[in-house]
Amino acid sequence: MSGIVNSDIVYSYIPVAVFLVVALLMPPMTMLIVKLLSPRSTGAEKYSTYESGSVPTGPARIQFNVEYYLYAIAFVLFDIEVLFLYPWAMIYRGNTGVDTTVAVVEMLVFIFVLLFGYAFLWKKGALKWMKN
Amino acid sequence: MFDIPANIFPWVRAYVGLALIGALFLAGMAAIWIERKLSGDIQERYGPNRVGPMGLLQLVADAIKLFTKEDIIPAKVDKILYVGAPIVIMMSVFLMLVAIPFGAVYINGVEYVLAATQMDISILYIEAVSAIAVIGIFVLGYGQNNKYAMMGTFRNFARMIGYEIPLGITIVSVAVMAGSLDVVEIVHAQSPIWYAFLQPIGFIVFFIAMMADMGRLPFDQNEAEEELQAGVFTEYTGMRFGLGFFAEYFHLILGSFLISLLFLGGWNLPGFVTDNIVLGIILPTLFLIAKATIVMMFIIMMRWAVPRFRIDQVVDLSWKKLLPLSLLNLGWAIALGLYLGA
Repeated sequence: MSGIVNSDIVYSYIPVAVFLVVALLMPPMTMLIVKLLSPRSTGAEKYSTYESGSVPTGPARIQFNVEYYLYAIAFVLFDIEVLFLYPWAMIYRGNTGVDTTVAVVEMLVFIFVLLFGYAFLWKKGALKWMKN
Repeated sequence: MFDIPANIFPWVRAYVGLALIGALFLAGMAAIWIERKLSGDIQERYGPNRVGPMGLLQLVADAIKLFTKEDIIPAKVDKILYVGAPIVIMMSVFLMLVAIPFGAVYINGVEYVLAATQMDISILYIEAVSAIAVIGIFVLGYGQNNKYAMMGTFRNFARMIGYEIPLGITIVSVAVMAGSLDVVEIVHAQSPIWYAFLQPIGFIVFFIAMMADMGRLPFDQNEAEEELQAGVFTEYTGMRFGLGFFAEYFHLILGSFLISLLFLGGWNLPGFVTDNIVLGIILPTLFLIAKATIVMMFIIMMRWAVPRFRIDQVVDLSWKKLLPLSLLNLGWAIALGLYLGA
């Protein structure tokens, strides 16, 4: 039966731990094989930054445009909305003693409030790429 | 069960499940071959045809080349980020792999799911670990200290934060209708009718958002070859590039499986019931693999059907079209779920 916490819940994450260890070990192991097989050559030029063949000029790490932050804030808002939806989606049908009508209306109010903010963002032009 | 303590089984399952990694590598090579062959056919050229029958051994040749190519770490890169980024991306792929069921075996009416582990929140878990790849690509682009890579990173950032939300909302819509966050339960809930037919809008939104998530054309702005050299992979070479490249194909494969599991009925085929033991063991898994292959080939063909979008079009599509559509689909799923469930 899904959706019910039981004592076996930890066991289903043991394979996750095993895969995580393998995932962390695999790329270094691959690179070790490459190190053993691949040839070596010297020369300063090949360690330079690629810029279509010309000599690299200026720093590459420019600052993020401030407009990214508007996107990022909108993203955080809506992502948290989605996070709230997950537990709600599991209980709204009333199988845990929740009144279905109340649960649905509450979630519709929640989404409506967010839609209001979404309309505001749209009107404000925050969702428009590179306004100026 | 018998005299073996129950806590042994997850370990056995984990180590047997590691075979999935090998299978994934084979599937990744097959996917690259299919992509090259299909692209060749679409453009009326041969594609790989020299090495082995129908160019099948081309991938072995490519692997040998990648393994014997010198590993160059450019002087100006941030070494820790440069070395660590492919590990983060691979980690995301492998962690996704753990929870995705790749089929089921029916023996005497009992179902055994072919997955390394089964959790009650597997779809939430899969979405969470697939998002780690975004951090990986960000680290990848930032660590190289290269202008093309940096531009690719900016584009990637703008794209990914837009598409995670429609993706999440459509997944919730599916969970609402199935009443579970377990992929296996979601597949069971699609036994008579697939969700692609019950939630057509959700299916289309999920498909587009998944393609953007996988970085497939027309959504590969972060490494657009014609504009940004290799975008976020510019300073990578040899096997380090190979790891990132393979991870992309792994995402393609796992994404195709997810689309098949969530919307195309997983290992179900309507009207398929058998008492034959051998067919019960083989066919459900084959159905799922066939569905995922068709989805994957469709995604590959999209590459040659639609030109790459500009980044402002991509951002507009996610925020102004997919997000309202996914919320509409959520409302539809709640209404239909209550109607069907009552």
